[in-house]
Amino acid sequence: MSLYEIRDMAIQIDGRQLVEGVNISVETGKCTAIIGESGSGKSLSCLTPFGLTPGAALGSIKLDGIVLTGADADQMRKARSQLTGFVFQQPLTALTPHLTIGAQLQEAAAQAGPARLSRNELAEKLKRVGLSRADERLDQFPHRLSGGERQRVMIAAAIAHRPKLLIADEPTSALDASLRGEIMALLDELREEQGLAMLLVSHDLASMEGHSDDLIVMDQGRVVESGPTADVIANPQKDYTKRLIAATPHLNEPAPDLPSVGDTLMDTEAVTVQFPRPGWRRGKILAVSDASLMVREGESLAIVGGSGSGKSTLGRAIAGIGPLTSGSINWQGENLPERRARSLAMRRLIQPVFQDPVASLDPQWKISDIIAEPLNNLRPDILRNEREEMIKKALDDVGLGIEYLTRAPTSLSGGQAQRVAIARAIIAGPKLLVLDEATSALDPLVGSSILELLAQLQRDQGLSIIFITHDIASARRICHRIAVLDDGEIVEMDDMAAVISNPQAETTKKLIAAS
Amino acid sequence: MRALLNRKHWPLWVVLILIALALILPAILPWTYDQIDWDAVRAPAFSGSHIFGTDEIGRDRLARLAAGTQVTLMVAIAAALVSLIVGIAWGATAGWMGGKVDEAMMRFVDALYALPFMFIVILLMVIFGRSILLVFIGIGLVEWLTMARVVRGQVMALKERPFILAAEASGTSSLMIILKHILPNIAGVALAYLMLTVPQVVMVESFLSFLGLGVQEPLTSLGILVKEGADDMDMTPLGLLLPGGLLVLLLVCLTIEGERLRDIYS
Repeated sequence: MSLYEIRDMAIQIDGRQLVEGVNISVETGKCTAIIGESGSGKSLSCLTPFGLTPGAALGSIKLDGIVLTGADADQMRKARSQLTGFVFQQPLTALTPHLTIGAQLQEAAAQAGPARLSRNELAEKLKRVGLSRADERLDQFPHRLSGGERQRVMIAAAIAHRPKLLIADEPTSALDASLRGEIMALLDELREEQGLAMLLVSHDLASMEGHSDDLIVMDQGRVVESGPTADVIANPQKDYTKRLIAATPHLNEPAPDLPSVGDTLMDTEAVTVQFPRPGWRRGKILAVSDASLMVREGESLAIVGGSGSGKSTLGRAIAGIGPLTSGSINWQGENLPERRARSLAMRRLIQPVFQDPVASLDPQWKISDIIAEPLNNLRPDILRNEREEMIKKALDDVGLGIEYLTRAPTSLSGGQAQRVAIARAIIAGPKLLVLDEATSALDPLVGSSILELLAQLQRDQGLSIIFITHDIASARRICHRIAVLDDGEIVEMDDMAAVISNPQAETTKKLIAAS
Repeated sequence: MRALLNRKHWPLWVVLILIALALILPAILPWTYDQIDWDAVRAPAFSGSHIFGTDEIGRDRLARLAAGTQVTLMVAIAAALVSLIVGIAWGATAGWMGGKVDEAMMRFVDALYALPFMFIVILLMVIFGRSILLVFIGIGLVEWLTMARVVRGQVMALKERPFILAAEASGTSSLMIILKHILPNIAGVALAYLMLTVPQVVMVESFLSFLGLGVQEPLTSLGILVKEGADDMDMTPLGLLLPGGLLVLLLVCLTIEGERLRDIYS
């Protein structure tokens, strides 16, 4: 008999059936993971039984002998506050900003019973989740802590009342790549030590692999496949699972076949970017320091680093849409000046693509106007009727039909919007694309199709690519070489295969472990 | 546009009906706002052709009400539009340029905020005499400040958005980015604040007129009508209640509509 058992659950919101036929069981000391794309109903399935969504759950749901469907308020409260702990995706919004860490922990622990914990006991709980200087942190407010530290506090609060079941909804998705491994390891440790049953929700198959015993794959409100994690991954039965596994980049998959490269196209010499401190404070923030790198014709270079490592700032300086404090960016020996000093001819060479596809399209413009914008500015030599043809061809190149021309950006899905953004980037015939986390905000299937599209464009048009990401595994699918950035400095730069098989810098090792 | 037909936009419809009445009534009434009916001084309501009676020198109340509403709304809308244009230009420039330029421009706005504006308007009136132009300048001096702040904030938030960076990479000039990408995206918020500026200007204009610093007789405004009504209220309370009630109705409707729009767009 499992601790938490869901049989044939359906979830309705406002009379619409969003989830049906879901079976989940979690045993004490084991971890069950639910994997799915956004909108697959995975979070809904986890939170609705506890009344944490507007939906209503039907079916048979039992937690430690309590029947949750139709439970009265007392039983529900007992199930939710005493038997269960929750960890959410956003550690900042899940902590109350005006309460100190100590107060939050005290409140969480109070769910178990009225006895107040002493300061030492509270500090002990923080130490248990790997926070240093625990005593000092009890008096700090959440905003003083980093993202990873906040998530540790969330975990400490979730298990403070010694629950039997821990539900973690995308616990690492909002965290820096290098921290994800640590948080997952912590969850594993706690599960073993305290005999917790754990229900984990994630969109990222790769991060669940070594951490869950059972796997449930969901798509469009239904369970596609379920079973022991190792079995499902090694021997997927359903087509959807197979595609999902193939789409998830892996460091031990066979090396991709990359196009050959030519001579040096673009290089940077000691690029440094400083920002003034906000407000009236003196001094500067050093975002990128002394970054020297180069990209050859037809080559893809991955710039990899955690958040705040300066990788986006460096990419923007190269693309001419961000500041450059000192150093130089050269195009086949010719100097490219910073930002607004760039001529239209120089702009044409390098085009950016951004992380958030919806925010990178002006919501007030039609798709055809968005794609035409670079063409109108950068290619005045092209006649009007040819332009229309080029817009249609660019849409075709990124795999969209001409019916998209008149649509509004807000009506597109993330993957479609990212394709439009790529069409805009390639239409004026650039030589180098700077992709800033271009696949990170997308679901795995969509993200991998964008990666394929990029590889395709590179083969067909001889494009060079700078692929900025935190995810080495997905960079490996299209990149020849890799530069690892830490705290604004390039700590390692070599061929992709060499870096992965023999990483030198500490940051690189962490990033590889997280992939 | 169809969204405005929704029932929850009733305040807008009340305002539009009042404006229509203020425009149409003078054409169909037998009396003009400055015409004196010597036979019916201080006539009560519904006496002869005077629906709301006449004031203490025999002018038709309804005609004066319509003319006053026209003047008040004209001043308000014109001043709000001026504040819109100046505020957007100032705020968008400051927000887009950022850094030292932004600091200097916004400190200037702060300095203007700090001025005792009513005092300055009164001073101007005393020195240069009363004129509707001075009322405009006085009001315009202050009302664009809030708009500039709002627009600056919106521009600052927008300018780091990827689609603006993409436009820059596409070779679009700064001016064109502001005109074609930024302004269309802040139009909703600007409209909401325009809607909120109109009642503020109505208040200020009425206040100046009440003090006798607004428009000149025989031209009238709601503020002047309220003042005249207040002077005479022990004899004919209708003279105060009518323009006062109309003023309150206008202000309430405009403010509700403006706040509703602001909630939608920001």
